Amino acid sequence: MRARTALLVTLGAALALATMPWLLSDFALSLTLSCLMYAGLAVSWAMFCGPTHYLSLATSAFFGIGAYVTAWGVGTLAYPVAVLLGGLSAAAFAALVGAAVLHLRGAYFAVITFGLGELVRHAITYFEKSYAHTVGRVIADAPDAFTIYFTVLAVTLAAVGTSILVRASRFGLALAGIGSDEERAQTLGVDARLTKIAAFTLSAAFAGALGAAMAVRWTYIEPTSVFNPFIGFQTVLIAMVGGAQTLIGPIVSSVFFSLLTEFLRLQFPYAFLAILGLLLIILVLYLPGGLASLFTRWRKVHA
Amino acid sequence: MGFWLELAASGLITGGIYAVVAIGLNLQYGLMRIMNISHGEFLMLGAYLTWLAHTTFKLNPLLSLPAVALAMFALGLVVYRLCFYRIARTAPAVEVIEARSLLVGFGLMFLVQNAVYLVWGADLRGYSYLTDPVDIAGARFTANRLLVFAFAVAASLLLLAVLRWTMIGKAVRAMMQSPIGAQMVGIDTAVLHPVVFGAGLALAGVAGGLLSMVYEISPSMGEPYTVTALIVITLGGLGSALGSLIGGFILGVVEAFGMHFTSPSLKMLLSYAVLVAVLLARPKGLFSR
Amino acid sequence: MIFAKKVKWLAFAALAAAAAAPAFAQDASVKIGYAIARTGPWAAGAQVTQEPNYIMWAEQVNAAGGLNVKGKRRKVELLGYDDRSDTETVVRTYEKLMASDKVDLILPPWGTGANFAVMPLAQKHGYPMLSPTATGRRLLGMKNPYFFALLQQPDRMMEALSEFLVARKARTAAVIHVDELFGLEQNTALQAALKEKGIEVVETKSYPIGIKDLSPVLKDIQAKKPDAFISLSYPPDTFLVTGQAKSIGFNPKVFYAAVGTAFPIYRDRMGAATVEGVMGLGTWNPKMSQAAKAYFDAHVKRWQKEPDRWASAHAWAGLQILQQAVEKVGLERKALRDHIASAEFDTIIGKIRFKDGENVSTPGVVSQWSNGEFEVVWPPQSATGPSLYPKPEWK
Repeated sequence: MRARTALLVTLGAALALATMPWLLSDFALSLTLSCLMYAGLAVSWAMFCGPTHYLSLATSAFFGIGAYVTAWGVGTLAYPVAVLLGGLSAAAFAALVGAAVLHLRGAYFAVITFGLGELVRHAITYFEKSYAHTVGRVIADAPDAFTIYFTVLAVTLAAVGTSILVRASRFGLALAGIGSDEERAQTLGVDARLTKIAAFTLSAAFAGALGAAMAVRWTYIEPTSVFNPFIGFQTVLIAMVGGAQTLIGPIVSSVFFSLLTEFLRLQFPYAFLAILGLLLIILVLYLPGGLASLFTRWRKVHA
Repeated sequence: MGFWLELAASGLITGGIYAVVAIGLNLQYGLMRIMNISHGEFLMLGAYLTWLAHTTFKLNPLLSLPAVALAMFALGLVVYRLCFYRIARTAPAVEVIEARSLLVGFGLMFLVQNAVYLVWGADLRGYSYLTDPVDIAGARFTANRLLVFAFAVAASLLLLAVLRWTMIGKAVRAMMQSPIGAQMVGIDTAVLHPVVFGAGLALAGVAGGLLSMVYEISPSMGEPYTVTALIVITLGGLGSALGSLIGGFILGVVEAFGMHFTSPSLKMLLSYAVLVAVLLARPKGLFSR
Repeated sequence: MIFAKKVKWLAFAALAAAAAAPAFAQDASVKIGYAIARTGPWAAGAQVTQEPNYIMWAEQVNAAGGLNVKGKRRKVELLGYDDRSDTETVVRTYEKLMASDKVDLILPPWGTGANFAVMPLAQKHGYPMLSPTATGRRLLGMKNPYFFALLQQPDRMMEALSEFLVARKARTAAVIHVDELFGLEQNTALQAALKEKGIEVVETKSYPIGIKDLSPVLKDIQAKKPDAFISLSYPPDTFLVTGQAKSIGFNPKVFYAAVGTAFPIYRDRMGAATVEGVMGLGTWNPKMSQAAKAYFDAHVKRWQKEPDRWASAHAWAGLQILQQAVEKVGLERKALRDHIASAEFDTIIGKIRFKDGENVSTPGVVSQWSNGEFEVVWPPQSATGPSLYPKPEWK
């Protein structure tokens, strides 16, 4: 799909989604919000990790940093400013960290990025405890549901739009080159180190912005809940099951996962995790190309 | 015993706990590049089985450990055949094996945890065993923690010995170095893979059984242990049995001294600082091949 | 002929069924919704303290003919969902229950964080919530008219502890606390109370949740020989300090561990002889009254496990309050809220009255394991048994 077509489709979807607050109930809107959030996280994760084949578990760290920017800034900063700042802070953190650890690969990189979330969590806990004499912040005045929804929608759209543009650009080509053979890419003139850091930073910005946006829904922000490693796990899961190399894969997968999880949770109040786990295993074993492969297969058949 | 020696000793003993948790995962990842993120859940299962044997059947936990090991080994064979065999067979590259086994691992994690919730409920369970203090040169340590330490050392050394000096160990090492080459000289991966996976799960189960003597158990106890195991084997070098033992000890000692000089709150920061520092200097861990 | 006989039998059967059907089957059931942790880190606490009480209460009420709604008996229908110890899921579930399903009443989730998240929704949709597992001045500081905290606040419990120390002439104390809001608030309250009573704090240390070894910290404190050791800890750390203190032979005159001591698993796992003399947060035990014993026995019969000696009873009390309020006022929620906020209720932990959302009736107390039961030992007017001071040697 050409970039311009993809952007137009995205815009169309955005307009459709923008009407939802008036059409859906509170609960259905929250569910949509959840889908959007994970779509944003998965797409931005796949922006870097898809082409380069890195396994990053740093999403929890970026998300949490964004959430804390909101927690600290609420009252003084306007909500959109906090979201922007959350994204920028996460990006700055990613740039710093990326410079130090992006030379690692495979499982080592995964463990280190996982550790980042824990590291930031403990650092913030210590800092808050020692200087602010508190662990956790109350967000007394939260913006209303519509504002939150539109903000998250905007950030997710930005993530999808950026992903489309990156894939169509030389930057995206460079990333793919690094993914298939980093040394060869270097010899062809790609500054691998800088390119990787740039992509890592870019993907972190969206995760941070989403964290900053969602934090207001919980009234009380504490390190343990916002730096929940499960956010990182779920993002990786969704992106990989969808097909990390594709654009549509993570989006479809996030909708599918959010709806499936909620359906199972409400229908099977006691056993839903087991069913989800089973479905996941079956999915990975028998649809190894991810959900996106269903789409490409359909396209091949109907081309 | 001098104060510093005692502090170092308690650090080593905690390090033994970290090391024992990592052994099984190291085996699975080192040989098959299977990132078994559900490792902690099988540790938890071993803990529950030992607890069950002790509280319901009044069995001595030490005696039930071999039974737990066997049960978990059998379970490992089944899990490998159902879940991981297909990945190993159909994946085009090693990174793909890692990625897909990670996803399957998540699925297993949900499945095993929920199953335990259904059977035993979410309550904390536990028992006490070998809680009496042991006097060593004037310092007191709890007997069950010493046991875990002793097991960590013994199991790691035994594993090293098996890998270095037995035929099966040589076959395993050959497969770690060159899967195709190993097959060409007649080493049967179809047998070795499930066996090593099963052994990894058995070690996880035994680690869980030992830990159930020291700490209380709950269905959600597995994940932090998986994290610890990952850190330890990354620090020590993926696939290196000696590495994960030394890595565990280093973490334990750093934490003990760190807690004394600064504050326990900084414990995690210190651990991660150590990990990052080591990986900066040696990107493949301390004892990488 | 045969057809007529069949019809006669059918009619007879239908009449018999109608006669036998319970009286409340005709009225709509009262829908009570909640999200609670059945999986994840919050589940251990939630499944001991809260959900078993919710379910048992609904069963008892229905067995007695249904919930009394201003004279009319109606069946209680519980709609409970797993919140997976995830705040976002908590929010989404209550949105569904309140705005979409429009349940008649809600019951709160477990823990301070989750309760914080539900509070704005409770106010927006007008559902009173009586929380037995949320503590902290911060919560009450939100001044949410629909929120009622059942537990004693930190300052009252720590006051009681300090008074006990003064009464027994303890001079020095060492404090450790967990790096969470709970630990911090309790510590702040404790330090203030101890300072006011002139007790010297020789050491204060905090530790992160999930710590696996506290022996270096305990050894440091042991060397300072305090009269009292106070651990403002969560169950895993409570277990840890107990075992490790015993192991290194650290036996101060007062050994206090905040949360977890009230759980039956504490006594069962460590051994009744080992925990003898250990103090902690607790409010009641089955010896306190007939009603308490009845509740205790019913709980053991239904769940094959004992309720805990702190928040379990507060959870049950909250349900009793709800029941009494609904009987008097009906299901109109604003009226319910006003009634709960102003009236005094009879519960298994005594009379309860709320002021600005805080339970101001249940006093701060200190409990202690003594002969296999968690006795309330201070203040004297609330005590169910004598206190053991100094703490006996570890066994």
